[in-house]
Amino acid sequence: MKILQRLARVAYTFVMMNYAAIAGLIALSRGREVWK
Amino acid sequence: METVFWASSLFVLYVYAGYPLLLGLWSRAAGRPSRRAPHTAQSWPTLSVVIAARNEAHRLPRRINNLLEQSYPHPIEIIVVSDGSTDGTRDAIAPFSERVRFIDLPRGGKPRALNAGVAAAHGDVIVFADARQRFAPGALQALASNFDDPAIGGATGELILDGELHGVSESTVADGVGLYWKYEKWMRRHESRLWSTLGATGAIYAMRRSLWRPLPPETLLDDVLAPMRVVLAGKRVVFEERARAFDRVAANGAAESRRKTRTLAGNYQILALEPRLLIPVVNPVWIQYLSHKLGRLVTPWALLAVLASSAALTPKGWPYALALLVQLCFYSLAIFGGLLESRDRMGGGPAEELQRAASARRQGS
Repeated sequence: MKILQRLARVAYTFVMMNYAAIAGLIALSRGREVWK
Repeated sequence: METVFWASSLFVLYVYAGYPLLLGLWSRAAGRPSRRAPHTAQSWPTLSVVIAARNEAHRLPRRINNLLEQSYPHPIEIIVVSDGSTDGTRDAIAPFSERVRFIDLPRGGKPRALNAGVAAAHGDVIVFADARQRFAPGALQALASNFDDPAIGGATGELILDGELHGVSESTVADGVGLYWKYEKWMRRHESRLWSTLGATGAIYAMRRSLWRPLPPETLLDDVLAPMRVVLAGKRVVFEERARAFDRVAANGAAESRRKTRTLAGNYQILALEPRLLIPVVNPVWIQYLSHKLGRLVTPWALLAVLASSAALTPKGWPYALALLVQLCFYSLAIFGGLLESRDRMGGGPAEELQRAASARRQGS
């Protein structure tokens, strides 16, 4: 179960990090605040 | 549709596996170390450390003490630029007034603050640091040791995340981020050996003052734009592993996602700010840039294309059905990971236990 959870966390991070590129493009095109 | 499926699949495979493999082999065959001649006391470059900060009064005294503890043959110039702080940053800096120059600006963004800090600096080399992180002993000397080589225009240090130090993840995303960060650093190390890294770590990087060009005020990623301009000027930016800074992984997935969104928005923006990066004869790291930075921007679109095309092609044969099944399993796993993350954020998950364990280790170390 622990291995499954760890894999799930890695998969979630991979998806989140990859799709952030789309979110970033949308944010830029809408002129949204992406400042830290 | 089959062309879309295979081209997209191969593209994702190239970005995450093919390019790293190529890079590893290429840097082994043609890599060049930086030339570090032994320095005499006088030959070390003078350093100016620039910290742009907004409402960091609670962190700055610790940060400045950390810098003052660094050993270096020359006195280090420290410049703190406040970007419209309203939390008493000036008062927090006051006890260090003999060693720290303070520039108080109205709120105008980090790039403006950095521009002001560098304009006020006198050092041969500018070191950029954030208020939150701390440097390991000897970090500044390690960064500066690279500048004896005239081919080197910049150096970036290594950012160590908490989980890496203690071997314990502190949040659901820490597992993934820690793994990703190790992978990124591996790439950076090999890109550096080959010619140059494709950016720097904002928490710890240095460049020759003569190569600095003021940043446009809208810049999102100063730690990519400034180093890439050094590369476009024909100089190397090297990865210096002996210069270490320490930081924590973002507290949760939402914070990490915001950070990553900003990073990737910044990578799109850099294409508009420095279109020369796309010209092979101008950009000495063109292949690396396309494969690594641009590849990451295109990958999510390719992943969507693989998913859609494999779904459409499933009736045509088992390889497409298998590909679809693998993707559905992977995305289900990711959703499960997202649920774990939500649970942790609400305070009920094992991440809390891990956090307690990490805290205990920190106190014990």
